[in-house]
Amino acid sequence: MVPETSTPAASGTPPPAIALDLVTRRFDGTRQVTALDQVSLDIPRGEMVSIIGPSGSGKSTLLNLIGGLDRPTSGRVRVDGEALDGLSDDGLTRVRRDKIGFIFQFFNLLPTLSSVENVGLPLHLRGWPRARVAARAHELLALVQLGHRLQHLPDELSGGERQRVAIARALSIYPPILLADEPTGNLDTRTGGEILALIQALHARLGSTVVIVTHDLKVAASCGRTIALRDGRIVEDVRR
Amino acid sequence: MILLRLISWPYFRRHVLRSILTIAGIVLGVAVFVGMHTANQSVLYAFSRTVDRIAGKTELQVTAGETGFAEEVLERVQSASTVRVAVPVVEAVADTRQRGIGSLLVLGVDMTGDRSLRDYDLESGDEAIVDDPLTFIAQPDSIIVSRALADRLDLGAGSGLPLLTAEGEKRFTIRGVMKASGLASAFGGNLAIMDVYAAQKMFGRGRTFDRIDLALKSGRTIAEAQAELGALLGPGFQIDPPAGRGQQFEAILAAYSMMVDISSLFALFIGMFIIYNSFSIAVTERRAEIGILRALGATRRQIRWLFLGESAVTGLAGSLLGLGFGLLVARLIAASIGVLISDVYGVARQADEIATNPALLAAALAIGLATSVAAALIPARSAARVDPVQALQKGRHQVLSAGESRARIGVAAACGALSLACLAAPRMAPAWVGGSRAIFYLGYLLAILVALLLSPLLSLMLARALRPLLKRLRPVEGALAADSLIQAPRRTSASVAALMLSLALVVAFGGMARASYDSIIDWLETALNPDLFVMPSQNIVVRTIRFPPGMGPEIAAIDGVERVQMVRDARIVFRQTPVMVVAVEIDSLEQTARRDPVEGDAASMYRLTAAGEGLMVSDNLAQLQGLKIGELLEIPAPYGVIRLPIVGIVVDYSDQQGTILMDRQVFRKYWQDDSVNVFRVYVRRGASAAGVRQRIVERFAGERQVFVMTNAELKAYILRVTDQWFGLTSVQIAVAVLVAILGIVNTLTVSIIDRRRELGVLKAVGALRGQIRRTIWIEALSIGGIGLALGFALGAVNLHYLLQMIRYDIAGMRLDYTFPVNVALGLVPAILAAALVAAIWPAESAVRRSLVEALEYE
Repeated sequence: MVPETSTPAASGTPPPAIALDLVTRRFDGTRQVTALDQVSLDIPRGEMVSIIGPSGSGKSTLLNLIGGLDRPTSGRVRVDGEALDGLSDDGLTRVRRDKIGFIFQFFNLLPTLSSVENVGLPLHLRGWPRARVAARAHELLALVQLGHRLQHLPDELSGGERQRVAIARALSIYPPILLADEPTGNLDTRTGGEILALIQALHARLGSTVVIVTHDLKVAASCGRTIALRDGRIVEDVRR
Repeated sequence: MILLRLISWPYFRRHVLRSILTIAGIVLGVAVFVGMHTANQSVLYAFSRTVDRIAGKTELQVTAGETGFAEEVLERVQSASTVRVAVPVVEAVADTRQRGIGSLLVLGVDMTGDRSLRDYDLESGDEAIVDDPLTFIAQPDSIIVSRALADRLDLGAGSGLPLLTAEGEKRFTIRGVMKASGLASAFGGNLAIMDVYAAQKMFGRGRTFDRIDLALKSGRTIAEAQAELGALLGPGFQIDPPAGRGQQFEAILAAYSMMVDISSLFALFIGMFIIYNSFSIAVTERRAEIGILRALGATRRQIRWLFLGESAVTGLAGSLLGLGFGLLVARLIAASIGVLISDVYGVARQADEIATNPALLAAALAIGLATSVAAALIPARSAARVDPVQALQKGRHQVLSAGESRARIGVAAACGALSLACLAAPRMAPAWVGGSRAIFYLGYLLAILVALLLSPLLSLMLARALRPLLKRLRPVEGALAADSLIQAPRRTSASVAALMLSLALVVAFGGMARASYDSIIDWLETALNPDLFVMPSQNIVVRTIRFPPGMGPEIAAIDGVERVQMVRDARIVFRQTPVMVVAVEIDSLEQTARRDPVEGDAASMYRLTAAGEGLMVSDNLAQLQGLKIGELLEIPAPYGVIRLPIVGIVVDYSDQQGTILMDRQVFRKYWQDDSVNVFRVYVRRGASAAGVRQRIVERFAGERQVFVMTNAELKAYILRVTDQWFGLTSVQIAVAVLVAILGIVNTLTVSIIDRRRELGVLKAVGALRGQIRRTIWIEALSIGGIGLALGFALGAVNLHYLLQMIRYDIAGMRLDYTFPVNVALGLVPAILAAALVAAIWPAESAVRRSLVEALEYE
């Protein structure tokens, strides 16, 4: 069953869920671009944070670094207390697999797999037995109100339904951290609202740390903390 | 042209590896075509050149097949009014017993008259002896050698040269060395000349010549001379210019040449599919680019020509490289083809250099270019039809539409029905289309077309059938690999088709080899059953050295010998085709043969043949020439025309072109020749074959050159030669493996580009590098597996057609249809391993791809 956890107590000194220490990311090309410039940041466990900023401000780069999809040029990223630098490619994958769930703007569902297969994918990759994978996938799809769309292929689902499947997939191992890159960016206003409500409900229920990159100020405002980026630097960090 | 430079060249530069793989398709096809044909032609050319160089100023040659004829024929030829000079020749292949020298072509000529036809161009020697032919003749150990041979043996004028002759090892004295050009360079320089009468004696020819070389009186034409000599000598002689011997040699090699043609054709077809695959992929990948070009005003025609232009450039580059590789391949295989041809046909000629035929090279270039352009026609048409608006819709064009599937099935069903009709009613064809053979080949072509048409659908069906199995084995990697094949049948099907064609060829050749092998073993067991074979040469197909018949009773008198059969075999020209005549004592043969005739009653067959009232023919001759039992054969011989009915059709694989068996008395009568090629010896029950062999060798030691082979050794020899003949199969397996690698690398390279995002998602949600690799490997193995399944199916059909071709057009052999399970089992690991090898690079490339880029990819 879905674990019922509460927001961690302020007492004690568990490491932050996410910690960035002077992180810089440069892209070498015909012209060198600094996407992130010496960013330091702590996100405690259970916090729901939005990251905003204009295009090219470094939002997605920041999310990719936190998620271990990319490596910093300098500085250190820690996830759940574990430093990501020095980890091999497979080491990074294991961190993603065990600690992070991703929600993408364009859903990134595999078009040939049904909803239940897409949701079960990370669990199969972890080597779970088939029956356990199936049970968890059914449970998660019910959680995102898609219990009636188990065998549908992504093409047969609406945009909102696809994002729900993507959210169910991100939750497959109930990861401590959920990273969402413009989760409502490809949806109409009403569906976007529904998806945001779902993420908030899941955050409240599961207690995961949630980081949402968004352009949408309404989405940003719905989070307890908002970090604004400009030209690769944090220009504002507001807690509500 | 500007589009090629602006659009195609940057694409080529961005995809160097892919472009190389595309070109490799044409290189492969052209290289196999050029390599096999050039090697074959080099052997033919070496033969013709030897004939030319030996012929000198000879305008016509009088022969009676290989059998030779009595000396008195020379006088009749010399008496002809058209003939200025006529000289006798005896040719023999002798062994020097010197390491690394091999066989030596010994030319026995009449030194008194021969120099008016041939220029010996001596550089050194005992001038007095060489200039005075009578002195040369008076010393029967005289021999002239080429400069090349003298150098190889490190000998000079006056040195001794040992040769194995019918009379044992004899020592000859080199009286002269010919300059290294013209005549001396014939047979790769392994040439020696001696007096014709000495050669008769040394090689057991009795008082016969092999041929007469002649020059005409001035003002007389070749046609006049042929007419006069034809009337003078009768139909048993061939009177042809020296080049005619080259044509006979070509006829002997017809079966081999046909195999080469089939292999080359398949290689080109396979190359075509690789090109087709590459261009289909390129069109798929470049849809957006095509859409932009169309939006900017490029016409459909310009787009079509852009792709056709690219294919022409690719074809040209591939063909040029293919020519180079082909000549390299030819150089590597010409020597072994020379050995094979020498072993199988007994025509010992070596290809000392590669004959590069400009016409063949030009044809290969044109074929390569045409194949490339033809292969790109359909992709170019698809490119021209790209709708600019839809150009950015990814993936849609990959799927086979239901309409297209229906159309394919419809055309395939029609072709299949027509192909079956061709099988069922081969004799209904009108003569103007070439009769039943044309219908047969049409059916064959249609059967292959059906397989090609259905291969995308069958690939799709097999991929769907594989999915549950793969998913069961590896829930994520297996399912995704199968899905990749299912989603993009176009990407896979051309690779599968190329693999299918190539495997079908291997399977069919393997099946044919197996069936031939079994038939030959069966024949060896039942018909060729003497315990020992006494021969004048180590090479069982060399017939240029012979024994006198008097040896027969001498062998029969040796302790332990129960029966001796004297065999004379020689190739003659029958109905314009070189066939083998085997003359044996049929009475004795009847006692030892343990095999029933294919047609005819055994008892009467042997009785009539033994009495000189009938002939037996081999089944393959009957098949090739459409002979029936009871049919009256007319065989022109030097001493009359044999007119006898066929009284039996038997299995005999002595010669690919067929065999006529007759009683020895008939041969003696019509050829005036009682010499013997082989004594077949049966050992008395209880006696040891090894002991008898030893006694035979001892009996003739120092007197005659005898080689005694046991039955097992002879069988091993024949089977080894059969293996060499089918060595072609191993070349084809190599080609199949190459095709598998090329096709699969190509397909997977595109697959990982198409699936960039999917693979990125997999990594993002937790797939380790090993899991990503596995999904690519499984996809490669699946392509290999589907190719194997379809290849075996088409191979089974192909084998049927090939056996029919063998029976009616190539060797006349009736071979039982047996699917070559061993070959198929051997191919499974070979192709799957090739598939895995092919997947290594794409898999690593997929693993190393940037995750961020993959996920942002749109």
